[in-house]
Amino acid sequence: MELYYYIIIPVFIATLVYFLPNRGSRIIAFIMQLALFGMSVYNFVQVKDNGVVTNYLGGWSNGVGIALRADSEASIFIVMTTFLFLITISLGMFKEYIDNTFIFLFVILEALLITTFLSTDLFNIYIVIEISTIAVSILIMYKRDSRSVYDALIYFLSNILGMTFFLFGIAFIYKIFGVLDIYIIAEKMKNINDPLEVILPFGLLMTAACLKCAVLPLFSWLPKAHGTPSAPSIVSAILSGLYVKGGIYLFIRLRSMFQPVIDIDHYFLLIGVITAIVGVILAILQKDIKLILAYHTVSQLGIILVGICAGSIESYYGALYHCINHSIFKALLFIIAGIIIERYKIRNVTEIRGVFRRMPVVSIVAIMAIAGITGTPFFNGSISKYMIQAGLEGNLIKYSIVLVNFGTILSFCKFLSMFFGKDFHRDKGVTLINLIKTLPIFIMGLLCFLLGIMGDALLEVVFNYRISIISYSYLLKSIYFIFTLLLAIALYKYFLSRILKRLKPIEFELTFNHIALSIVVFFVITVIFGLI
Amino acid sequence: MLNGEITSIILFFIGVYGIIARRNMVKSIISIGIMEMAIILFLLSVNFEKGMRAPVSGLTSNISDPLPQALMITAIIIGVAVNAIGLSLFINIYHKYGTTNWTKAAYKRRQGGRK
Repeated sequence: MELYYYIIIPVFIATLVYFLPNRGSRIIAFIMQLALFGMSVYNFVQVKDNGVVTNYLGGWSNGVGIALRADSEASIFIVMTTFLFLITISLGMFKEYIDNTFIFLFVILEALLITTFLSTDLFNIYIVIEISTIAVSILIMYKRDSRSVYDALIYFLSNILGMTFFLFGIAFIYKIFGVLDIYIIAEKMKNINDPLEVILPFGLLMTAACLKCAVLPLFSWLPKAHGTPSAPSIVSAILSGLYVKGGIYLFIRLRSMFQPVIDIDHYFLLIGVITAIVGVILAILQKDIKLILAYHTVSQLGIILVGICAGSIESYYGALYHCINHSIFKALLFIIAGIIIERYKIRNVTEIRGVFRRMPVVSIVAIMAIAGITGTPFFNGSISKYMIQAGLEGNLIKYSIVLVNFGTILSFCKFLSMFFGKDFHRDKGVTLINLIKTLPIFIMGLLCFLLGIMGDALLEVVFNYRISIISYSYLLKSIYFIFTLLLAIALYKYFLSRILKRLKPIEFELTFNHIALSIVVFFVITVIFGLI
Repeated sequence: MLNGEITSIILFFIGVYGIIARRNMVKSIISIGIMEMAIILFLLSVNFEKGMRAPVSGLTSNISDPLPQALMITAIIIGVAVNAIGLSLFINIYHKYGTTNWTKAAYKRRQGGRK
């Protein structure tokens, strides 16, 4: 099957819904989305059996036209994309505030994301990311609340600024190599001996990729975009679950492109550790549900970056697996946060009580997702975090990751406390319609569990990588986890919850000038590290 | 000697200065526009030498590189879209917060959007 179908079909769905504004077209769109998911699974199986698939668009030869390339990593990311869009569309399709323009932009975003995973042409990737920035910023201000317009403007301009750096990097790459295809450039990179020749494009491209991955000095757009008060929860779910993975994937490919000449993994490793720690500290200090989740995205991205740059094959695959896991549980948590906010009309974690009594099914799913993100044994997060930790060298980094994990557990105690307590509003029992409505999120919750217990089998199928989880050390980790959990609960109950009640909400606020300054400073530091 | 590449690098950093130092939202959007123009100039003058002709059919020798020109048409279109959306978001902000200043807008956002 030709690869461009995966880009054309979402565009077709979007146009269909936009021009035929009735419920029937939405149902057709949903069925086509289901078919697209099936196709992407088929594509994955094909790639698995027959190796990498490459299509040259327009019949041009390699290096002249745009090429689409699906290897096993790209195709698993595409399966993930179509699956999450299927879930979010089925949840949001029949809500009142969602009109045709919304679905149009939302499904176009899917096509753009799939293109980022498939395309090998740097300029094509630039165009796609630029358009998706426009689509995302319209989606997050869709309800036109003044705060979300401001957040959209900050998101929009800082990402456009990053992509301007990216385009300048492309210009330098074209000047040096004369081609724009990532894999051809990676081949030609081997002929370059002096890092000084490619240091400028390296700094420019990496700055843009790191902005997309939301690492330490550059992450202040992320909580704004993902946690803005009035953004629809399915948009937040897609942004936090999937969209940032596009940045991670870009980072992985650019890193391997420059690897023969410039290899500064230790620098990115350090940045990843600091990002994870700062992200989790800021998450602990938040009270707004969505902001908590947004800051956790920052810290989990830091952990993924650590896994990619740790230098061992085990953490690398652990990081990729964590990408998949994170996209599932984080999307799920955002959707659940949306449901809770819709019912309670407040966003403050310390004020919401008794969710379990009111919405038992949703709460069970939420607890599954929390088990995923905290790395509870038998859930998906535990496998990927175990793998990332197993491949790390050096005690300092190892212990800081343990610390980050402890912070995650501590912060989700805050989340868990929502489910208990008394709440006098009661919903009318569990009806069949409600059960059907919660079916998509229930599937995702189940996936959190299944990806955990079948993690080793899945890794072997997806990445051809056999992990050796030593049952003794896994058991040790489980016992250790229970102790950490107890400690975290105690710490939360007697210390943190009292502080939080008095604390004013802390937001890591940077004005746009400071964001721009941090981008430039990051660029300069990256160039300096690349030279020494 | 000031050729296209050096001019464009200077222009790019003028844009960077504008973005860091100016607190006016419109000036920030204009600065991004300047940076984009600088990159377009850079890519067009990458393999250019004096006396080269435009890549039109019929010419065989001394033709300038057609690829950057094709790419830059796309980049110009994207630039127009970006400017349009940036400015329309700015107008929206201005109606709601009544300021063009980044710092004041950030302060008002913290206050919850009161004018």
